[in-house]
Amino acid sequence: MTAVDHPYADAKPSEPQSNEGLASAYLPGQASGKARIHQKDTDSSQETSTANAGHPSDTNGFAAQLSGIRFSYDGGKSWALNGIDLDIRVGERICLVGPNGSGKSTLARLVAGLAAPDDGSVILLGFNVFSSGTPHSDLYRKARRDIGAVFQNPADQIITTVVGDDVAFGPENLALDPKTITSRVDESLDAVDMKDFLLDDPSRMSGGQQQRIAIAGILAMHPKMIVLDEPTAMLDLEAQHDVLQVLDRLQQSGTTIVHVTHRPEELKAADRILSLENGKSIELSQTQAALKLSVTNADDTGMLKPDGVIIDENPGIPNSSVEKKPNHHKPIISKDSSTADLQKPSAQSDDSRSHQIRNQNKASQKPANGDPQHSTGEPAISFEHVSFRYPKSDIDTLHDFSMRVEQGEVVAIMGRNGTGKSTLTRLMTALSKPGSGTIKVAGIDLGSMSKRDKKTLRSSVGLVMQQPERQLFAETVRQDVAYGPSNQDLPQEAVDQRVDRALALLGISGLAERSPFSLSGGQQRLAAIAGIIACDPRILVLDEPTAGLDATASERIYALVRTLNAHGVTIVMITHSPRQARQLADRIITLGGPVQNDSGNSLNNGTGDDGNRNTCSRKTSQTGESARDGNATSGPLSRKHLPSREDPKTARQPSIIARLDPRMKLVVFLVLMFTSFMVSSLPQLGLTALMVIVLAAAAKLGPKRLFRSMRGFLILLLVMGVINMLFVRTGKPLVTFWNFPITDEGVMAAILYTCRFGLVILLGIILLQTTTPTALTDGFGSLLSPLRRFGLHTQELALVMSLALRFLPTLADEARNIIDAQAARGGSIETGSPAKRIKALVAIVVPIFAGALRHSDNVSLALDAQSYEEGIHRTHWHAMRISGKDIVFVILCALYLAVLLSLKTGILSVVRL
Amino acid sequence: MKETGLIMSDISDTQNQSDSHSRDKTQSTHSTGVADKGRWSTQRIAIYALFVALAMAASFIEFPIMPGVPWLKYDLSGIICLVAGFAFGPMAAFIVSVLSWIPHLFMNPWGAIMSIAVSVFLSVPAAMIYKRMRTRVGALVGILVGVVFGLIAAIGGNLLITPIYAHMTTVQVLKMVIPILLPFNLIKFAIHGVVTFLIYKPISNLLNR
Repeated sequence: MTAVDHPYADAKPSEPQSNEGLASAYLPGQASGKARIHQKDTDSSQETSTANAGHPSDTNGFAAQLSGIRFSYDGGKSWALNGIDLDIRVGERICLVGPNGSGKSTLARLVAGLAAPDDGSVILLGFNVFSSGTPHSDLYRKARRDIGAVFQNPADQIITTVVGDDVAFGPENLALDPKTITSRVDESLDAVDMKDFLLDDPSRMSGGQQQRIAIAGILAMHPKMIVLDEPTAMLDLEAQHDVLQVLDRLQQSGTTIVHVTHRPEELKAADRILSLENGKSIELSQTQAALKLSVTNADDTGMLKPDGVIIDENPGIPNSSVEKKPNHHKPIISKDSSTADLQKPSAQSDDSRSHQIRNQNKASQKPANGDPQHSTGEPAISFEHVSFRYPKSDIDTLHDFSMRVEQGEVVAIMGRNGTGKSTLTRLMTALSKPGSGTIKVAGIDLGSMSKRDKKTLRSSVGLVMQQPERQLFAETVRQDVAYGPSNQDLPQEAVDQRVDRALALLGISGLAERSPFSLSGGQQRLAAIAGIIACDPRILVLDEPTAGLDATASERIYALVRTLNAHGVTIVMITHSPRQARQLADRIITLGGPVQNDSGNSLNNGTGDDGNRNTCSRKTSQTGESARDGNATSGPLSRKHLPSREDPKTARQPSIIARLDPRMKLVVFLVLMFTSFMVSSLPQLGLTALMVIVLAAAAKLGPKRLFRSMRGFLILLLVMGVINMLFVRTGKPLVTFWNFPITDEGVMAAILYTCRFGLVILLGIILLQTTTPTALTDGFGSLLSPLRRFGLHTQELALVMSLALRFLPTLADEARNIIDAQAARGGSIETGSPAKRIKALVAIVVPIFAGALRHSDNVSLALDAQSYEEGIHRTHWHAMRISGKDIVFVILCALYLAVLLSLKTGILSVVRL
Repeated sequence: MKETGLIMSDISDTQNQSDSHSRDKTQSTHSTGVADKGRWSTQRIAIYALFVALAMAASFIEFPIMPGVPWLKYDLSGIICLVAGFAFGPMAAFIVSVLSWIPHLFMNPWGAIMSIAVSVFLSVPAAMIYKRMRTRVGALVGILVGVVFGLIAAIGGNLLITPIYAHMTTVQVLKMVIPILLPFNLIKFAIHGVVTFLIYKPISNLLNR
């Protein structure tokens, strides 16, 4: 890799330290890696010494050489990989393709040095890491330092809450010095065009941005080879392009790239394409591969381009009974040709800025319902002038939106990410309330529902959320599917009948007694959908039901939609596939999207969870999205009581408090907080209040910010005050409420106890607002480090803490989704008998655990990919050093404490109030 | 009670000898050997982290369950500590209990310390018993013993801490034990116990996938 044509070279020519960083890249890492790692593997230590001759420079032009690889997940009963030979030359770009379950991810992990095979031999970057059935951990470790890996799920690779710190994690594990880390962080963020986001919170960004940050984190380690496992699978088109562009630049710079993909358009730049099938690999030509992928992925090929034009790649519609109307059949939609093809009064665009509703008349022959379009009965769903805005957002996700869905209709809803499609499903199922407007579903006005209405709604409307398999919880599929119907107070026989029917409809009767967690992804999806069908809904709302499914499973869902519709069920389906929409829907409604800010340089480029948060960040208009799994969110639940962290703008000129050594700050603040509880008179309270005010001023935190952060605690404080007032019976009575006398001492106690607790909370807020989570956890780890000699894993505990803080909002949001999903199946922890509530709780808690375990699998891989392991010598990007200001700070706080203590003990006599 | 033969794999004890099973993938057949024994694998770090995050999230969702005493709130975090202990051993229970309350240290310091104590007293004994008796009965006994320890910690903690938050003497708090503190904690631990007992089979399916 030469510095000249490296992707970073196009950064800024006036950055000498950037090249310096490149030059010194491999040296310190190699040295320390060798020094710190203890060799426990007695088996391999001999081999190590001989194989060590294969120094990285000595690769014979191969980045990886695998031969005779066999890999089994079930101890040899079946082989995921069976006799794979693969040579990857240095600088090559290889694409791995193959159907689901063909072992391409497994192979990618082997090439990345993250897993060892059962049999065969593996040489990575010249290191003979696996031979004669034994892994050589020492060599694996060395090879890994120069191999980067990027995975499918962007959010799970983000391990901390500040972009810069996240990118610095890998270099820290390589024990680079802080100066080098700074230049590495800068150049890698520049390489992925994310330089402006250095101080932002990546967990609130779009999937595309997160994936680019994950790639930056790998680039910062200067890998010689990068292995990417479907890095664009969860990204929308625009984000895919961004990622591919980064790959092209890497390729030009001479980095070896191994890219697992299923998208035909990503193959074009590949030097070679390998297809995996039945455990074997075949090399394909470009044309063969493109053909193969477009056949297996027929459903994915129709895509919505950024300009809103639907590309009709497959005009031949298999359904021969379709009545073709030429002018409506061509689904070209542009933003300004709005009302031309609107022909039904049922779909209307009231606000052309935010919504484009198109109607494309297609398969209108519905055997069961005659002609639903002209039915005069009440519509199944009607929206009238509905607006919806997420809290904290400055724009409406839906603005003055109206639509009607007739009974027995199949309506597809399309539109880019962030246009409010998922919001629409939430509104229809009364999981969210509109800001204004009227919504009627199944004859019920959702604005004014009684408890019984709510119950009727729950049983007549079914909601299949995105990735419904994440709601599975029971011991068997049968029990899971039965959850919804059994919440409807049906006799056991009826429940069984419903369950059997639902399982049969989805073709999974044979799986009834299996644990849902033992099923494949596709089977899980079908089981989860069966759970909703079993509620026997008259209206079924599906949010991207076939996303990520292979052709067979998708076909089952198509059949399901047709069957249910033939029985008169009204269906609203969100989809990204125009082909799917045309095959199934009577009508397509396309959402235009929220009004963009003037600065909106690009439309939302995240994926999934549409429109949930359009304005998370002030600086960008494109951070409004989350990753598909709803990971990167800032839902109301997650942040309720947590004081929000520092504003990136003020962080640029950090206050004196923000610049204190985190260890000092942690200890001193905790001491201040605990001692504040000693305050027992008004003068002492005054002193402590003064101290807090001085600290707040030094932290540059205005009263408004402090108050906002404190809001969550106000009720608690109020309750405390009232309790104190009522409990104190001594002193002069002032007023008497019923039998409770309020005395002057009671009022005094209320003031004292409430105020001192309030001050404690304020101290905590000042600390959290001026310290990043990384600094906090670094400080925490450093403070614990003396305990290391007692066998405590201090560095790891600090990492656990840091990761936990990172995933806290993610899990809280997932929990919220699961609660909603189970509520839509009639399970509620707020109503019903204790037994019912506990049952509802179980249905919520188990999927939450499942989610946590899923994340942990991915996180552990991401940690491996960034060469983290316990006991390694790591450096810290932000080195902690105690300086003069820390000492002054400690002295001032000690002085304060001395005064407080002397006030308490009466040494310092103050006029009593 | 029926023997379920439930085995939750154990990755908790750092010096663990032989019984680390499927869950600790870096120790499995496809291990690259990078994480050797006696050190925490990235898998373990990740699992602890996610459990801590879960318990933290749960600890922020508090709601009163007894009318008249709004300051005594129920939260689900104890369930997560119990499950962590059953699945990954007493060490995991301890780590999850302690770390998950650390954010509260900066908001409600004494309250956080007390919550940590209650969590540890509840989940660690339960995990220790279950580690020796990996059956449904073992889980039940573990939970019951944990509840006893938890009650002691909760009531003892309240005696010490309530006077810091309210103008009350320890004697006044003592008078609240029977009418308020005991029933509240009994309800709380009963919910914890029942839920843990119910979710433990499906979760073990998940872990031994």
